[in-house]
Amino acid sequence: MFKKIIMILMLTMLVGFSAEAGMQVNSDGKPVVSVASDCTWPPMEFINKDKQIVGFSVDLMKAAAEAGGYVVEIKNVAWDGIFAGLASGKYDCICSSVTINDQRKKGMDFSDPYFEVQQSVVTNKDSNAKTLADFKGKKLGAQIGTTGYFAVKKTDGVVAKSYDEVGLAMEDLYNGRISAVVCDDPIAADFALQQEEYAKRLKIAFVVKSATPEYLGVAVKKGNKEVVDLINKGLAAAVKNGSYDKIKAKWFGSN
Amino acid sequence: MKDKPVKIEVTDGASIPDSKDKGLLNAWWVSFLGAISIIIYLVVTKPDPYKEILLFVPDGILVTFQVTIFSIIGALVIGLFTGLGRISKNKIINLIASTYVEVVRGIPLLVQLFYIYFALGRVVQVPDMIAAVIAMSVCYGAYMGEVFRAGIESVDSGQTEAARSLGFDKNQTMFLVILPQALRTILPPVGNEFIALLKDSSLVSIIAVADILRRGREFAAESFQYFETYTMIALLYLLITLILSKGVSHMEERLTHYDR
Repeated sequence: MFKKIIMILMLTMLVGFSAEAGMQVNSDGKPVVSVASDCTWPPMEFINKDKQIVGFSVDLMKAAAEAGGYVVEIKNVAWDGIFAGLASGKYDCICSSVTINDQRKKGMDFSDPYFEVQQSVVTNKDSNAKTLADFKGKKLGAQIGTTGYFAVKKTDGVVAKSYDEVGLAMEDLYNGRISAVVCDDPIAADFALQQEEYAKRLKIAFVVKSATPEYLGVAVKKGNKEVVDLINKGLAAAVKNGSYDKIKAKWFGSN
Repeated sequence: MKDKPVKIEVTDGASIPDSKDKGLLNAWWVSFLGAISIIIYLVVTKPDPYKEILLFVPDGILVTFQVTIFSIIGALVIGLFTGLGRISKNKIINLIASTYVEVVRGIPLLVQLFYIYFALGRVVQVPDMIAAVIAMSVCYGAYMGEVFRAGIESVDSGQTEAARSLGFDKNQTMFLVILPQALRTILPPVGNEFIALLKDSSLVSIIAVADILRRGREFAAESFQYFETYTMIALLYLLITLILSKGVSHMEERLTHYDR
């Protein structure tokens, strides 16, 4: 009896493992790419009032999938640990405003860049700081593990505070506990200008100057060429057929 | 003839007996030496990343200690008054204490932290450390209140009657007769609450307090070495908890050895 149970258990485990290996295919025979996204980053990726995952990169991934002949399944995953999940194979790729940099390239592969960002500094309206160094002795906040946070940490004399979500950092800024928040410019624009209450008190003060341009890319598990190729093909096709520009205009206006 | 002065021997009372398992091979020493030797082994054999993690988190350890100690003090004070309030015959005090226990016990600590820090932050500005300590004290004060109440109720009512008939007033009866006896019953569960509080202090990392967990997560987020980082964090928490639990059991020994 025990032997039987153990056999059944082992068999189910084998089935479970083999299902994860290789790419899944849906009923129409199209490959399915599972995408992880931290949906707290409006307007790039966020949850709207109807509890749907929406945003610029979400639309882009869908358009690329359609143009490239595959299907995407987007999962909402917390930023803290999103890369660990990729490494352990919980999903095929991350499309969550991930900046391509050398440090990250050591741990994962990237698709072609699909968007350029800068790090914007959101602060109170009465502040006249022009660089990060002007905040000497003050507290600056950013989301944990983001390029914005790394920029703050590199600045001498400021106290870096890391938050689980950029929204919590903005709330703390609004409440006056920190002096500024550093994050990608589309997100800064969304929080500082679109949210009515925040817009009354906050402004985008300046952009952090960087020697190299910062690009967003889709992160894929190291060595998973199949998925990288698929996504690159889809992104190129989406740019070519004009849907990229349409999506950009939809989320950021015509300029 | 003068009487010789009577020699009175003053002793400390019965000497403290040896605890039952003082040998090296008990659970506490196995865990403690195990944790320390694993940390040393990891740091020596793989300085990158383990040594770097260890060098990255010390200020986090300090913050965790601060939050824990201040919260323990706060929770003890709140717990004592809540426990007394819960057995009070004054209906209003009783109602306030009971409502406090019911409400706080029914809301997760994480939600309380968010609430005190972010929601109340719109009205009153509380620095993050103070918000963390307030939230932890308020939450654990409710649990400790119940422990205090149970301990006080466990003391035989004859003790109250005896004290009152000796002329002690109500407060003297409670603080000089009942509470010292209740302490023996209270201490083990209170020690448990201390340890639970220390571990739950990791939740304060959510409100951007730079404790051990937050420091570790910052390290992991930059280096992508999640497994190594969380291994070290787990060992550090274990080590601190063991030290605290040793302190608690030491106190228990001292208090209970007359009770036989």
